[in-house]
Amino acid sequence: MANLNLTLKVWRQENAQAQGRIETYKAKNIPDEASFLEMLDIVNEELVHEGKEPIVFDHDCREGICGMCSLTINGVPHGGKKVTTCQLHMRQFKDGDTIWIEPFRAQAFPLLRDLMVDRTALDNIIAAGGFVDIRTGSAPNANNMPVRKKTADAAFDAAACVGCGACVASCKNSSAMLFTSAKAAHLNLLPQGQPEKNKRVLAMVRQMDAMGFGNCTNQYECEAACPKGISVDNIAKLNRDYMIACAAEAVGVFS
Amino acid sequence: MNDIITTACKFVTSSIGRKILVALTGACLLLFLVGHLAGNMTIFGGSTWINNYATGLHAMPAWMLMAIRLGLLAILLIHVVLTLVLKLENVNARTHYQKEGTLKATLASRTMVLTGVMIFCFLLFHLWQLTVNGDPHDCYNHIVAAFSNPWCSVFYIVAICCLFMHVRHGLQSVFQTLGLSTRKVRPLYNIVAILFGLVVCGAFISIPVCVMLGIIK
Repeated sequence: MANLNLTLKVWRQENAQAQGRIETYKAKNIPDEASFLEMLDIVNEELVHEGKEPIVFDHDCREGICGMCSLTINGVPHGGKKVTTCQLHMRQFKDGDTIWIEPFRAQAFPLLRDLMVDRTALDNIIAAGGFVDIRTGSAPNANNMPVRKKTADAAFDAAACVGCGACVASCKNSSAMLFTSAKAAHLNLLPQGQPEKNKRVLAMVRQMDAMGFGNCTNQYECEAACPKGISVDNIAKLNRDYMIACAAEAVGVFS
Repeated sequence: MNDIITTACKFVTSSIGRKILVALTGACLLLFLVGHLAGNMTIFGGSTWINNYATGLHAMPAWMLMAIRLGLLAILLIHVVLTLVLKLENVNARTHYQKEGTLKATLASRTMVLTGVMIFCFLLFHLWQLTVNGDPHDCYNHIVAAFSNPWCSVFYIVAICCLFMHVRHGLQSVFQTLGLSTRKVRPLYNIVAILFGLVVCGAFISIPVCVMLGIIK
């Protein structure tokens, strides 16, 4: 088992107001079965031993399901291996590699410190309409509420979004369309989401615009960077649903 | 009535609404390209063909010609102004990486504004050269004279290459923005966009090339 020696170019910034800069660190003797975050833990332990400030980064479950970890690795959110940073293993890198580590960048994601950014803007989009108001009860009996298999699959695939924000960070325009469309689609596809479909679409899109995200230019960087494989089909669906919702609002189908 | 106006205002100021307007006007411009190309191809039939075509166009009632021109101008302006506003917002929404990475965004998609501005400048020159200073009765000789200047021909060819880049991303983008795309048909749209671009732009380029090669004289 080979251990890796790496050069890290890490974005350091004390707080939102401070001037950020790239600093270079040596990551020595990193086991290749370590995850990317564990590699940073090792580097941080060394920094603490030397009496320096450790590198601040977001993390939580470390098993790829919470969406808390971020990091733009060599210019690509989560490193572009279709997994979250916590599931990215050092065996993906070679001994002697130089790795650039930066925060998820977007104006809508204000930087808090080093590699940690505030992704509240995504929560605000959910709060605007990414929910079902009615009481849906406990899990229904199987086949009690028929849903086409294809529809159920599409809804489940959309619901796989963990809301990490890699789509925004990878987008050349910092657009949140993939996130918003996935969150809208997984409810809009299912029976429980139907009564509030138009209201939801309008509220979420308008909140997304208000948060200062950019506009989608159909480059599909988001889909390529997404650790959960969310499809840009959801964006096409949101565009469609938005047209329908606007038409419904204009003629007063719902108030 | 109030609801309709309120919603319409919200629609044309929203990100998706403006993108839909850009897609629809873009689609109109693509259709115009096809019509324009079909007319241009009459040059290969000889001077009588294209001169008849040009005089035929001008034979329509003046108000109709003016209405078509104003309509096209309106479509073009909506397309250009909205894209520039959207682009400005996109630039402001982004903060740059020290180390930039790209996964699958095509060169064409990343240079849409650049190729668009090139096409706009070309369009101004093109209108000045062949519409303002043109004579429908002697269209053929005017075109041959224009393309006999190699600089003019090269400029046209470069501009049409920009048009290819623009159309290559634009056409498949129209389907996605209008919500007509799924993962099954998206690769097909991509191929259609490339083929459409190759055929249309190739045919446009064939005219200056043929003039320079002496095939059209």
